[in-house]
Amino acid sequence: MLSDLESEHTDLLQFLYACPVGLLQIAGDGTIGLINPLAMQLLLPIASVPWVTNFFDVIGAYAPELRNLADAFVGPNGPICRAHRIFVSAPSAREGGDDAKVLACTLVKLGAGRLMATIEDISKQVAQERRLKQAETWFASLIDGINDFAVLSLDAAGRIDGVNPSVTRQTGFAEADVLGKLLDIFDLPDPESSTLSTPEQMASARREGWHLDEGWRERRGGARYWCQRLIAVQSESDGDNGPVISGYTVILRDVTRQEFDSAKLRHMLTTDYLTGAYNRAHFFDVAERERMRCSRNRNPLALIALDVDHFKQVNDSYGHGVGDIVLKSLSAICKIVLRPSDTFARIGGEEFVVLLPSTDLVGAAQLAERLRAAIATMPIKAGKGFVRVTASLGCAVMATDATAVTELLAEADKALYEAKRLGRDRVVVSSCPRAVA
Amino acid sequence: MIDLSLPAFADIDLANLTTLSRDDMDRLPFGVVGMAATGIVEVYNATESRLAGLPADTVLGAHYFSTTAQCMNNFMVAQRFEDEPLLDATIDYVLTLRMRPTPVKLRLLKGAESARHYVLIQR
Repeated sequence: MLSDLESEHTDLLQFLYACPVGLLQIAGDGTIGLINPLAMQLLLPIASVPWVTNFFDVIGAYAPELRNLADAFVGPNGPICRAHRIFVSAPSAREGGDDAKVLACTLVKLGAGRLMATIEDISKQVAQERRLKQAETWFASLIDGINDFAVLSLDAAGRIDGVNPSVTRQTGFAEADVLGKLLDIFDLPDPESSTLSTPEQMASARREGWHLDEGWRERRGGARYWCQRLIAVQSESDGDNGPVISGYTVILRDVTRQEFDSAKLRHMLTTDYLTGAYNRAHFFDVAERERMRCSRNRNPLALIALDVDHFKQVNDSYGHGVGDIVLKSLSAICKIVLRPSDTFARIGGEEFVVLLPSTDLVGAAQLAERLRAAIATMPIKAGKGFVRVTASLGCAVMATDATAVTELLAEADKALYEAKRLGRDRVVVSSCPRAVA
Repeated sequence: MIDLSLPAFADIDLANLTTLSRDDMDRLPFGVVGMAATGIVEVYNATESRLAGLPADTVLGAHYFSTTAQCMNNFMVAQRFEDEPLLDATIDYVLTLRMRPTPVKLRLLKGAESARHYVLIQR
């Protein structure tokens, strides 16, 4: 027979075993003290090793900022972050981009060196939110005032064949300026945006019936404004062959007054908290867009994977503070070396990637070598002295149309691993594992 | 004390598991969980009960992967029982026995000799 205490203990254990939310108690450095099965279920598949003993080590590969947030928390106790979103994997193009894996993490400091964490899989909510937010934005704009809408009609080939007077008011272009032109006359080069290009948006509208977008558009004379745009397909029945696309209706709405918040919000959502490099989620967004663009235009797309050598030793010898300075300095110097069209992102603790559109393997290797040399010669101020770090780099290029972004990343990682194996502080190119430096 | 008359973790097979007496099953030095194809627990030996801190009668009749062992409810364990017609695999794993991260070896067994699927757990 179980005593009362034992049976209560059993109830409590069963309660925790069956809990549908991941629960952990961790030490200040991330060492796991207590963990329930759901937390382990979520962490095991994303850990690079089969033994999960440190929460920050596992989660740091996807959200390195969590450790920084915990370190930066000064109070004796209290909430550190609530439902912090962690993008574990990129959405695949095949599933329409709505299958990203996203975890939500809440961290609470219980006392000195004692934290409580909860983790939940919120992938489904995130996908749904995205759809809802689009619709909501659109309905909110409808209520705000019908006068703001510029309406254009396009023929089946996508050429503008009619506009309402608001088009001139909003864009500055006269009717004669735009008739017969393609919709991309309102486009502006926008390196920060992760949205689809105008032809891609029209393709999406053909597939889905409509496409809603928000981003910078150009007024006549070059000024830019923040614009919500709906592209809707008009179709006509073609007897036996079913509906065919007869044209498009495009609605433009000037929402420049929200410019500040949108730009700030976009910055927060796309960049890494510590280094200012783009974050993992944004990298996968951009990479997927560039993959489609490059395979359509038959341009090569290259990727450099970069990992700081012996970074753990830097942290252990000088502390996390200096480790952070190293990552910030390295990011700053890489951004100087890289071209504006390159996307530099932090995808893990000390792992960075550079996406190089329209660049072949030779070009990538040259750029990687310049990065390596710049990092190796960069003195980093740490307390009273200086530290120096080196990095290993792996380059890969998109081989065929079928290559997924994750495969390209795996190729570059393989080359990076080879660079580490050959003694670090060097560049290795994927297809021929031969050091060029 | 290791009882040499009983089969070892690496050697035991589905035939042994179906014929072992209940007492012998309880004397095995590793955890044994046997479940119906539906996932409902039908066998839960004393060693596993002790490791997990749960009396057998609270686990028997419950769905193993959704109430007791959510940490195995993924492609590495539960999915393999679904996907593979025959299964005898030993994997390194981390369980959360009594909420402590515990490295273990798991042996997953499924085959024609028994209608039950078995998970063996060695700490």
